[in-house]
Amino acid sequence: MATLTWHGSSYPTQVLVLTGRSLRALLRTPALVFFSVLQPLIMLTLFSQIFSSITSTANFPPGMTYINYLLPAILVNTAMQSSLASGIGLVQDMSNGVLARFRSLPIRPSTVLLARNLSDAVRTAFQLVLMIAFGVLVFGFRPDGGMVGTLAALGLALVVGWALSWVFIAIAAWVRKAELMQTVGFLAMFPLMFASSAFVPVGGLPGWLQAIAKVNPLTYAVDAARSLALAHPVTGVVGALATSGAIAAVGAFFAVRGFRRPLSL
Amino acid sequence: MSELMIEATDVSKKFGDVHALDGVSVTAKRGSVLGLLGHNGAGKTTLINILTTMLPPSGGSAKIAGFDVVRQGHEVRSRIGLTGQFAAVDEQLSGHDNLVLIARLLGASRNQAHQRADDLLEQFDLTEAAKRNAKTYSGGMRRRLDLAASLVGRPEVLFLDEPTTGLDPASRLAMWEIVEKLAADGTTVLLTTQYLDEADRLADTITVLSKGKVVASGTSAELKAQVGQRTVTVTLDSASDVDIAMKAVNAVGLHPVVEGLTLTTPVSASRDLATVVRALDDNGLEAHEIGLKEPTLDDVYLTLAAN
Repeated sequence: MATLTWHGSSYPTQVLVLTGRSLRALLRTPALVFFSVLQPLIMLTLFSQIFSSITSTANFPPGMTYINYLLPAILVNTAMQSSLASGIGLVQDMSNGVLARFRSLPIRPSTVLLARNLSDAVRTAFQLVLMIAFGVLVFGFRPDGGMVGTLAALGLALVVGWALSWVFIAIAAWVRKAELMQTVGFLAMFPLMFASSAFVPVGGLPGWLQAIAKVNPLTYAVDAARSLALAHPVTGVVGALATSGAIAAVGAFFAVRGFRRPLSL
Repeated sequence: MSELMIEATDVSKKFGDVHALDGVSVTAKRGSVLGLLGHNGAGKTTLINILTTMLPPSGGSAKIAGFDVVRQGHEVRSRIGLTGQFAAVDEQLSGHDNLVLIARLLGASRNQAHQRADDLLEQFDLTEAAKRNAKTYSGGMRRRLDLAASLVGRPEVLFLDEPTTGLDPASRLAMWEIVEKLAADGTTVLLTTQYLDEADRLADTITVLSKGKVVASGTSAELKAQVGQRTVTVTLDSASDVDIAMKAVNAVGLHPVVEGLTLTTPVSASRDLATVVRALDDNGLEAHEIGLKEPTLDDVYLTLAAN
């Protein structure tokens, strides 16, 4: 018989190896990386030009440039879009047979989910750094919070995206249909994005939209990121982090349960 | 070394009202090859899914290498290899990286993993394509990579779900040789197939599944004796030739059936083919077409259904 046999690696090794696998796959498909940064970049470019006249309206904080106002929102938004891609990535893994292979191995199913979540967080971090770089170099982003404040805003956006990624991984584990998730995800996010403080101050919205914006969690995430980057009195950062933690915990719980169901059903 | 490596007892699986498996029992000793024969929908893949811990059974129990598939899934999974009907490889990774990934997940060190990957790539004739994305592989190469991936951990029990379906004849033969070598090295193999010749060549014991039930099982010879026979068919040029041929073949102790210009007779050994040819030749007949037909899975089913 064989001289050496392997009976499964440790939990951290499984997570590390699987995370590495996703990142390596990403590096080997540069087109995917390119398009994943293209979308937020287009948004940054268009919005910074289209909405720049908002700075002269009554509700806009006096003395602030629009790019300083916009970029923290772009960070949160990019992280949110990226979390949807995380769920879709899991569905694609399920359908192309790789997960069937993993399931026949002596590894814990939750490591597959954790690895997907972590590798996507790395990808998101890369996207966010790139957005900030473009903001600074091309569009004149000069936040009062400086480097530290900007990095803090990046960190917050990353945590929000990480938490939402658990939600979409959970949905993916139950729904298992990429097209459906893409459509519903977009339909849910698109209005959320505009009915918030992301692009214009809430005070400038019509009354009914104001009502939505005030209960929209995205408003709080964007405001928190903005307060960090712009060195405003920090509001809602603890709340945003705590909410993210709670969302992540619930998402992860349902993700693991849903993922346990057999693949071939 | 006569311990049972596969032991399924009265396994059932229901999907809603459908009985995908209905009281199936199979066993395989260490180092043997168990052939699971059946058409699409017979329940072959469902049984494999249960034995590999992918699906829980609705009833009955199953053990792999002595470990229960429901309660000791981890133990089972660390002793098996699985190659399904569709290649389960990561298309975005190279062939080499695919195998390293599996080895690392199984607990190999980085060096061991690379070594094992290189060995398997060479064994499966994939060394030249090792660095290429699996996406660029042909169907046959993908299959080989998939099989290599299931062998990374040197499994004690290997499950092959229709390993040659869709392969060209050369790749098919290569796959057969690989399975034979694995079994010779002590690996227990369960393979499903729709082809009787494949089961005949590879399997020590064959279990025939139909609609979720075992309809026959035994060695290839036992099954054939129970089931179908080879037949010789002779097609002649005219009705008068058919009459002469009938008398000639009857005279040598075979009993053909006539349909149009074709005589069909069951035979028990391949030398009976020679007997038929000689009988025709002695009567100065020239056959338009003559052939020996192996019993097919359809014959097996027809016979089993008739019994």
